Amino acid sequence: MNKCEVKEHWGIVYVPDKPPFPLHQQPTVKVHAAVIDPKHANTLVRKLNQILPLENLRHVKRVRKQVLDEGGIRLSMMLCLADESDDTQLEIIPQEIVDLINLYKLETFITKVCKYAPISKEEWIEQSKLWPTSYHPPTYNISGITGFSEEESLSVCTFMKQALDLSKCECQIVNAAIIVDPSTNYIIAHARDQVNSCSCFINHEHDVMVSCLNPWQWCNENSSSCSWHPLRHAAIVAIENSSERDRRLFPGSGLDESTDHLEHDLMLKKQKTECVKKEVVDSQSNNSLTELTRPYLCTGYDIYLVWEPCAMCAMALVHQRVKRIFYAFPNRKTGALGSVDRLQGEKSLNHHYAVFQVMLPQEKNPLINI
Amino acid sequence: MASSGGEETPEILAFMKLALEQAKIAFESLEVPVGCVIVMDGKVISHGRNRTNETRNATRHAEMEAIDVLLNEWKEKKHTKHQVADMFSKCYLYVTCEPCIMCASALSFLGIKEVFYGCANDKFGGCGSILSLHTTTTTTSDIGRKSYKCTGGIMGEEAVNLFRNFYELGNPNAPKPHRQLVQQP
Ligand SMILES: [Zn+2]
Ligand SMILES: [Zn+2]
Repeated sequence: MNKCEVKEHWGIVYVPDKPPFPLHQQPTVKVHAAVIDPKHANTLVRKLNQILPLENLRHVKRVRKQVLDEGGIRLSMMLCLADESDDTQLEIIPQEIVDLINLYKLETFITKVCKYAPISKEEWIEQSKLWPTSYHPPTYNISGITGFSEEESLSVCTFMKQALDLSKCECQIVNAAIIVDPSTNYIIAHARDQVNSCSCFINHEHDVMVSCLNPWQWCNENSSSCSWHPLRHAAIVAIENSSERDRRLFPGSGLDESTDHLEHDLMLKKQKTECVKKEVVDSQSNNSLTELTRPYLCTGYDIYLVWEPCAMCAMALVHQRVKRIFYAFPNRKTGALGSVDRLQGEKSLNHHYAVFQVMLPQEKNPLINI
Repeated sequence: MASSGGEETPEILAFMKLALEQAKIAFESLEVPVGCVIVMDGKVISHGRNRTNETRNATRHAEMEAIDVLLNEWKEKKHTKHQVADMFSKCYLYVTCEPCIMCASALSFLGIKEVFYGCANDKFGGCGSILSLHTTTTTTSDIGRKSYKCTGGIMGEEAVNLFRNFYELGNPNAPKPHRQLVQQP
């Protein structure tokens, strides 16, 4: 297939941090709130942020200010999440909040706030009619969210095609993963599912055994050899291969003492200024001597997966700090990047990647081809 | 996520103490202090602790380490997949911190019987804090999703203290944690 052909039928679609909703139908969650005395506002905000930070509602303002018809203002404050069902028996307010309610003699009520941060000014205006939220236009720009150049989309399609090829062997179709450094287009690691042992020599039918699609299925497959592992999904194996590469190319270099993961940002800055330079023989560069930079986990790297990963794999990719994930086929029952869960939108996580679905021409679907 | 309410039998506490021992080993190795033990028929059959810095693989959490010890052993004994699945269904995990989304999923894939944990994991918890991967949902019950019982708050204070010491040591300028500071890489 020549380069132009590859590009023509393929498309790259951004999978946003939250599911798309019509402007006037933004999903909401119920919260406990209370009208407060303005002179207690600062103290209460400080105390609440300490005892209950509400990570997933960071976009919601703690305090709502209403101008009353008869003049004057009324301040209300969001305290904590309320039970979504209308069953008052189930209401459990954390003890620290109950203490605050008693201390300041607050009268609580239940109200609704918008569940997801606004992604446009229009959404923000709409949301704030219910309860004020804050709107931050994206300060980061992970390349691709705003579109891909010709050159970039060509390399995305090329790597995805390699992942597709990797997912097929004589006897099985499995998930496959390729980790790429987009700044050099080097392949850092690649892997196939290792959940079931390959049985090419006895079986010539294409069994579809994609680990992430049904991760509970491993024990139903008979296996004579011992090369199986219920948790060795392609992404997990690829991460392991990339960390092996890291240890091999940069044995015992300087980062081992940096154990504070809260400070990984700081460490990244440090790394940028004092690039760990090393002359190594790199397999990707025809055995020529190249200067390589010691990676911090998979920071800055992309991963190509044939199928949308399950929650285990998607979280592993958060831990390993992958920058972008590209997948070809959605995983309707267990997918964690938009189909069932959406880890890229979980505010409490300490790392967020950008997710893209690569749309293939129909005949590229391995499930149709078999 | 259930919180333990007076059901902390001496046996549960004894196993959690062993998990805390593992977390302390992690601490001494300059790893985020999380540890665990796996128990079958009342006996500890595996243990593990966080090894993410040493391996440069941020997925090498205590649970994954302990699981791999078992899988290697069982495969060496030439157990079949069915036998392995059957044995996992008799296993109890004691871990000092709520399993993260990755580990909570893995435990469901293996079909573990029950999990006891120390402190909650406000940032990454997969047994109730952020997602609830230990329960069955309608979309996945038809493909054989397995649920397991999960009880938190077993010696949670000790687990939190280890984290606090770890982050204070590693980062002397960091503000004092105001609440359960839980961060498993
Ligand atoms: Zn997976
Ligand atoms: Zn974990």
